[in-house]
Amino acid sequence: MIKLFKELTKGIFKENPVFVIVLGLCPALAVSTSLENAIGMGIAATFVLFFSNLIISSLRKFVPDKIRIPCFIVVIASFVTIVELLMAAFAPLLAKRLGIFVPLIVVNCIIMGRAEAFASRNKVLPSIMDGLGMGVGFTLALSSVALIRELLGNGTLLGHNILTNFNPAGIMVLAPGALMTLGILIAINNLIKNRKK
Amino acid sequence: MNERLIVSTSPHIHKKETISWIMWMVILALAPAAIAATFTFGLYSLQLITISILSAVITESVIIVLRRRRITIFDGSAVLTGLLVAYNLPPQVPPWIPAVGSFFAIAIAKQAFGGLGRNIFNPALAARAFLLISWPKYMTQFTAPFSQADSVTSATPLYLLKESNMSLPEMGLSYLDLFLGNRAGCIGEVAVPALLIGAVFLLVLRIISLHIPLIFILTLGFLNWLFSGNSIGGGDPLFAVLTGGVILGAFFMATDYVTSPLTRKGQIVFGIGCGLLTFVIRKWGGYPEGVSFAILIMNAFVPLIDRATPPRVYGKIK
Amino acid sequence: MELKLFLTVIISMIFINNFILSKFLGLCPFLGVSRNIKPAISMGAAVIFVMTLSGIITWLLYRFILLPFNITYLRTITFILVIATFVQFAEMVILKKSPILYRTLGIYLPLITTNCAVLGVTVLNINNFFVKGQAVAFSFALSLVQSVFAGVGFTLALLLMSGIRERLELNDMPECFKGIPIAFLVASLISLAFMGFNGFRF
Repeated sequence: MIKLFKELTKGIFKENPVFVIVLGLCPALAVSTSLENAIGMGIAATFVLFFSNLIISSLRKFVPDKIRIPCFIVVIASFVTIVELLMAAFAPLLAKRLGIFVPLIVVNCIIMGRAEAFASRNKVLPSIMDGLGMGVGFTLALSSVALIRELLGNGTLLGHNILTNFNPAGIMVLAPGALMTLGILIAINNLIKNRKK
Repeated sequence: MNERLIVSTSPHIHKKETISWIMWMVILALAPAAIAATFTFGLYSLQLITISILSAVITESVIIVLRRRRITIFDGSAVLTGLLVAYNLPPQVPPWIPAVGSFFAIAIAKQAFGGLGRNIFNPALAARAFLLISWPKYMTQFTAPFSQADSVTSATPLYLLKESNMSLPEMGLSYLDLFLGNRAGCIGEVAVPALLIGAVFLLVLRIISLHIPLIFILTLGFLNWLFSGNSIGGGDPLFAVLTGGVILGAFFMATDYVTSPLTRKGQIVFGIGCGLLTFVIRKWGGYPEGVSFAILIMNAFVPLIDRATPPRVYGKIK
Repeated sequence: MELKLFLTVIISMIFINNFILSKFLGLCPFLGVSRNIKPAISMGAAVIFVMTLSGIITWLLYRFILLPFNITYLRTITFILVIATFVQFAEMVILKKSPILYRTLGIYLPLITTNCAVLGVTVLNINNFFVKGQAVAFSFALSLVQSVFAGVGFTLALLLMSGIRERLELNDMPECFKGIPIAFLVASLISLAFMGFNGFRF
């Protein structure tokens, strides 16, 4: 039980996909213009991670080693298509704002990486936990980038005005702001890690 | 005791020019422009310059203390960056703009890379681009010269050209006005004579060489003469060179040692690139002025240019 | 008139909507292969090659199979499979036909399969140059140009970055900024410089 719990929490802090392993950066930067987008993207990716880990780990004994990568891609792409259709039906506005980054979940390195590194080698239950943990870690990382960018770039959080009497720095919601925020966050993360040593 | 016999590698001959001496000379060369700006736009410009320098120096000190490095605040590089940030601002921006700008220039564009001599981009120009994109409302509002009391807003000649395609007489200006700085523009860029005095001073001291500025200006002028008129060769090179930040950028920012190529050949490529990009951005881009962006883009190319134009090894025959 | 349209697409792909610096596509190989100049050139060439051919194949597939049979919802699955197969196939062909080319492009080809920039450009082609299930005028040519120059923009960013990172290698910079963080800051500043092209129109 404790082991399962560990599989869940490692993705959130110790092996956080974005800040520590530096994977899945494209969506982390592109959709983190607002907290709402980030959470939406995080949920979508967690959904795909959860189910792709589930299926891949339950099929791990039947899939020949040589063609495992194409098989993983098919599994992942199917769930991404499901997410795409669900989102278009129930959250059309969000789907529109996330744009091409919804289909691009397929090539999100986190999902492929977890399939290859974890789900194809472990039992079903730990794999699900791993998927969930990584998904939550990804969502948290995405949200923290988005929080900074939305606050400084728009003066709002989830669309509510937080900072009044403040001239938002428009650059933060643009590309340079995204790259800068992520760079500084990873630097801070490194700083904390170095202190602990 | 153990300093009696010193064995050191070459170079053995030292010149009296230290980095800090060069920095203070450049600051001195830029001083006339500050006086001219105060005269043209009023005392507020001087306040902005002071805030900008203070912010740069304070940021630098804090970071150096945090990193436990040798105190280098008096080498003048932070003062120079602060000064240049202020020179790139419109004369009526709120006081927090230079403060934020200088902080960005020193903390992100310079110290994150390891400090003086290690930055890739000119810190002052990076700060200007950062401010322009973040707060376009303040960064594109200019005031007419000699209107301190009521600070009449006025557009820069480049803006008038871009948005309304006006000619120089229609703007109510002459070449002499452009030359003397009797036009709207950034704090440090308008007073061409003051900048030229500083440039000649630096040239005489051999702190800067003429390669980059001259080729930058010639390229820009030539392209404008060729393409910016109604017919091929009917453009106005003088207007292009005297407006915007060409003189300030070409002599004082494109010549920055750290962010420009090492070899003569490389410097020529760099100058052509700056002139070409300035022309392209002014003519087809969304912003009326392109000098700062052009130099920044070329800064990114410097490592590649240096690689393609290695200095000749002493004694080696081609 | 058409020429201006094509030129706008080119400038947009290289500077304004640069895949790495403004759309954040292909960041993983960007950070991985940008330490030195030589591999960066090979990687760039491989990406241009794969993007161009993927752009052509997926456009044809979408226009002549997915659209007529009304199965456009299979777009994502089909595209990624086609790209993956095509890259595998290309790798084999190059290995057989040209060992020299294989040595320059070869090892980068498998890396590209999961490069979101490739899938990105194909999806972008479909989004931009098909309106309501109809190909717009010059749709194919525009897609082709967009694919090629998305690759060129990627290569340019990669080259600039690798040159800068080579120079930064020995810098005495704050410990916590070494490696990935400084790469992000450099990318941020290049992206800032490229913003000078905003609002570009002929």
